[in-house]
Amino acid sequence: MSFLNTLNWWQWLLMAMVPIGIISLYFLKLRRQPLVVPSTYLWSRTIEDLHVNSIWQRLRQSLLLLLQLLLLLLAFLAFVRPNWDGTELTGDRFVFLIDTSASMQATDLGKTRLELAKEQAINLIEQMKPGDAAMVISFSNTARIEQSFTSNRSLLRAKVDRIKATNRTSELSEALRAASGLANPGRASEQGSLVDIQVAEALPATLYIISDGAFASIPDFSLGNLEPKYIPVGKPMPKNVGIVSFTTEQNSEKPTQQQAFARIENHSDEDLTFNASLFMNGELYDAKQVTAAARQSAGVDFDFQAEDVALLRLQLEQSDDLEIDNTAFAVVNNTRLANVLLVTPGNDPLRQAMGTEEATKIASVTVVEPEYLKTEEFRQESVSGSYDLIVFDRCAPEVMPQANTLFIGHAPPNVRPAADPTAEAATPDDSVPDDTAPADVPPGEDAADDEEDTTQAPPPDIDSLWTIKPTAAPPIVIDTDRAHPLTQLIEFGNVVIIESFAMTPPSGGAVLIDADTGGIFAVAPRDGFEDAVLGFEIISTADNGAAEFNTDWPLRQSFPVFVLNALQYLGGTTSASATASANPGSPMLIRPNTPVDQIAVELPSGSRTIVEPNTQKSFVFVATEQLGLYHVTEGNAEKPTQHFPVNLFDTRESDLTPREAIELGHEEVKGQAGLEPTRKELWRWLLLAGLAVLVFEWYVYKRRVYL
Amino acid sequence: MAKTTSPPLLSPALLAQLERMELVSRKVFRGRMKGERRSKRKGQSVEFADFRNYVPGDDLRFIDWNLYARLEKLFLKLFMEEEDLHFYALIDASSSMSFGEPTKLHYAKQLAASLGFIGLCRADRVKIEFLGAQRRQQPGPVLRGRSSLWRMMEYLDGLPGDVNVSLASGVKEFCLRNSGKGILVLITDLMDKQGYETAIRYLVSQQMDVYVIHLLSEEEIHPDVAGDLKLVDCEDNDQAEITVSRPLLDRYERTLASFISAAQSFCAKRNVMYMMTSTETPVETLVGNYLRQRGLVR
Repeated sequence: MSFLNTLNWWQWLLMAMVPIGIISLYFLKLRRQPLVVPSTYLWSRTIEDLHVNSIWQRLRQSLLLLLQLLLLLLAFLAFVRPNWDGTELTGDRFVFLIDTSASMQATDLGKTRLELAKEQAINLIEQMKPGDAAMVISFSNTARIEQSFTSNRSLLRAKVDRIKATNRTSELSEALRAASGLANPGRASEQGSLVDIQVAEALPATLYIISDGAFASIPDFSLGNLEPKYIPVGKPMPKNVGIVSFTTEQNSEKPTQQQAFARIENHSDEDLTFNASLFMNGELYDAKQVTAAARQSAGVDFDFQAEDVALLRLQLEQSDDLEIDNTAFAVVNNTRLANVLLVTPGNDPLRQAMGTEEATKIASVTVVEPEYLKTEEFRQESVSGSYDLIVFDRCAPEVMPQANTLFIGHAPPNVRPAADPTAEAATPDDSVPDDTAPADVPPGEDAADDEEDTTQAPPPDIDSLWTIKPTAAPPIVIDTDRAHPLTQLIEFGNVVIIESFAMTPPSGGAVLIDADTGGIFAVAPRDGFEDAVLGFEIISTADNGAAEFNTDWPLRQSFPVFVLNALQYLGGTTSASATASANPGSPMLIRPNTPVDQIAVELPSGSRTIVEPNTQKSFVFVATEQLGLYHVTEGNAEKPTQHFPVNLFDTRESDLTPREAIELGHEEVKGQAGLEPTRKELWRWLLLAGLAVLVFEWYVYKRRVYL
Repeated sequence: MAKTTSPPLLSPALLAQLERMELVSRKVFRGRMKGERRSKRKGQSVEFADFRNYVPGDDLRFIDWNLYARLEKLFLKLFMEEEDLHFYALIDASSSMSFGEPTKLHYAKQLAASLGFIGLCRADRVKIEFLGAQRRQQPGPVLRGRSSLWRMMEYLDGLPGDVNVSLASGVKEFCLRNSGKGILVLITDLMDKQGYETAIRYLVSQQMDVYVIHLLSEEEIHPDVAGDLKLVDCEDNDQAEITVSRPLLDRYERTLASFISAAQSFCAKRNVMYMMTSTETPVETLVGNYLRQRGLVR
C-alpha cells in the first residue's frame, strides 16, 4: 500500500479547513430555535422513550456530522491516492515508448498486447507526481511522437489511449532518436573552431520501453542521459504460427502451371499440425496439411493454373495468439509475352541477345527488313498497336508507331530540324538524368487497348521533339543511370564506341547514358508510350557495304542484359509472374498501364482512395497500413487493372516470445519484474463510497430518521 | 398563543339558542332554594307525591282530612318539591390556556358563559370560577336569574390568564369551599405534569355530576412545527429539545391519542363525563350538538 500526494501544502491547508468549518457550522446549527408551547408534557412523553439509550441517541443526533466527516475522510483518502503494488516512478522526466508493431496485436494475455502496454503506460502516468513531465512516443518501424513533454496527466492519458495498433514491423532506433532529443542535446561547433558548445542543457529522463522486444538490437546508439527501463509485454511462451513468405512462380517443368510457395514458421514450443488453405479469387482452391515442429519452419507449395489475374490468399487454419500473420496474399499477373518487332537490315548480336532463354520467356520477336516499313501492312500494324515494342535498328518509320520504340543508331522521325540554331541554343543539356525519377510516363503494356490512337499532330510541339547532334569524336561514357530499369545492372565503363551522335530527349525524357559528347542513350515519353534512342549503331555498314562493329558492346556481358532490360521494360512485361509484395506502411509506386490523371486504389477494407500523380508524374500510394490486397483502378476504368498485396512477412513480428532483455547501444536492458498491471488505484472506490455516504446523508437529512 | 382582542363571549344568536335549553343532571340533588327542578325532598308544590304517617310535630296543614275521616288515622299528604340546581363551571386559567386561535381560555369562558346562561335562564344556581381563584382573592360569584348575566360576564372578563396552579390543588381548594352538590363542568387542557387523576378523584368524591371538557388547541392536536427546536413550557419553563421529523410527529400524535384515551377511560370508570374538544369546534356546535348528545343540556 502506498500513497501518492496529489495536493500541495496550501491545498491541503484549504482542505483541512473544511472539517473545522463543518464542525463549527454544526455547533451553530445546534443552537435550537426556542419555541414556547402550551406544555412540554406530551412532547416530553413523546421523546421520553427515545432517551432511554442516550449514548446511541447522542450518536444519532450527530449522525449528519459523522456522515459529513466520513465523507471528508473518504475525500482526503482519495486525494492521497492509496494504491497497491505500484512500481515507484523515479525521476521527474519520463519518456514512454509504446510499441505499436504488428506483434503487439497478439492476444496471448486475453487483451491485445498493445492494450496491456497502454494500461502499463497509463499506470505509470498515474504515478507521476505533480510537476513531473512525460512524453509519449509510439513506434513501429517509424516513430511517432504522440505527445511531447507535458505534465498534464489527463492529456498524456488521452494520448496514450488514442494509440492504435499498426501492422508494421518494429524498429526502435527512430523512436530512440526522438526520445533522446532533449536528454542528449546536440553540440554545436563552428567550422574550423575547436570550441565545442553544448547548445542546450541536458534534461535526463527515464525511458520506459513498453514492448515485446521484437526489434533488432541497436548497437550504435548512445543512451547518454536516458535511463532505459524495459517493460516486456506478453506471455513467456505464446503460441503462434505465421507465414513469413508467400510467392508464386512459373512451374519450371510445366510452363502452363504456376506454383505458390509459402514458408510457415512455428513460434510455439509444441509441434503443430494444421491446414493451410489456398484461396484463389475468393474461392477455396486447395488445402494442405502442414506440420511444423516446435520453433521450426515448414514449407508448403501449391500447383495452380491461373487463367488471367489470380488473387491468392493463403490461410492457416490454426488459432493462435496473433491472427494477422496467418493470412498471406499474393497476386499472379498472367504472363503475356511481349510482342516485339525488330526492324533491322541485319544484326546478329541483337538477334542472338533477343533469342536467349530468358528473353524468349518474356517476348516473342518478329524480325523484318527495313523495307517492311514501307508496306501497308506495317502502317496498319503501327496504327493499331499490334506490337508492344518496335526496335528500329539503323532505320526509322515515317511516323511514330503506336508502340514503345527503341531506335538503335538512328534518330527517330520526330526530331527537331538540326538547321534551327535557336532550338539548339534553347535546349542546352537540360536533361541531366534524374536518378529518382527515371521516366514519367510508363510503357504502354497494352497498346492495342488504346482506342484514342491518333496520328502525330501536324505541328508538333517543339518540346516533344528529340534534338540530335552529330559528333565527330568517339564518345567517352561518363555516367550511367543505374537506377532506371533500362540501364540497371549495366556496366558501361568497359565499352568502346567508335561513333555516336549526341541527343537531348524531349521534355519529360531522361538521358540514361551520358558521354563527354552529350547523351548517347535517352528515353522519353510519348502519348503513353516510351521511346528509347541509342545514339550509336551496334553494327554499322562500312563504305564497301560490309558489316563491321561500331562497338565492342556485344562482347560484353552487359549487352544481353541491356536487351533483356529493354524487352522487359519497353516490352511491358515482368519476368516474375507475381507482383511484389509491399510491406505495411511502405510507399508503393504504382505505374498505370495507360496514361491517366488519377488512379483509385481500393483498400482491403473496401474503402477507396484517389491517388493524384506527384510532380514526377508517378503515383505513389502510401496508405498501405492494412494487410491484404489492394486493387488499382486507372482513371475511369470500371474494373481494377492492377492488384498488389501487402503482407507482414516478418519473422521477428511472428515470433511473439517477449524478449527478456533488449540491447540498446552497449547496454543490455533487462525486463522489469512485476509486469502485471497491478497498480490498483483506490481513489475511484473511495469517491464512490463518498458518493454513497453523501446519498445516505441526504436521505438521513430528508427523512430525519433521528431526533 | 397571543391574546387576541376576544370577540364577545355570547352572541345574540347564541343567547337565543341557549334560552331554549336547560341543564340536565344525571342525578337528582337537593337544592337550597326553591327552584324549577324536582328535588329529592318532598315539598310544597302542587304535585302530589305520597302519603306518610303523621308524627307529632308535623304541619297540621298537610294532614289529609278526608283520609282521616275514612280511616280515622292521620296521614300526611306529601307533595313534590321543586328546587334549584347547582351548576359549577370550573375554568383552568393557567398560562397554557392562552394558546390557540381563539385562545383556549377564551373558548373556555365562552363555554362556561353559555352553560351558565342556560342555568341562569332556568333559575339554577350558577357559579363560575377559575382554578386558583381563592389565592387570587377572586372567588366566583353565586349567580341566579337572568339578570345576573352581566355579573357573570363581568367576572369572566376579569378572569386572569396566568393562574398557574396545579390541577389537583386548584380542584382541591374549590371542593373545600363548595360542598354543594350539582353539576360541575371542568374546562381544562389536562396538561398537568402532576397528572389530572387526583383532581378528578376530588371531584368524584364530592358526588357531583362531573363533566370534564378536555380543551385542546389545534396546535396541540396537529403541531405545525419544523426544524431543530427547543420547546419551552410556558408554565414551568421546562425545556424539551426536539428535531422535528415525520416520525417524531407521528409519535407525538400517538402519544396524544393515548393520553386522550387514558383520560377517557379514567373518567368513564368513575362515571365522569369526558369530552375532548378542539378550539376549532364552535361553541354553538359544542353546546347545541355534542353536549346535548352527552346529556348535559336539553
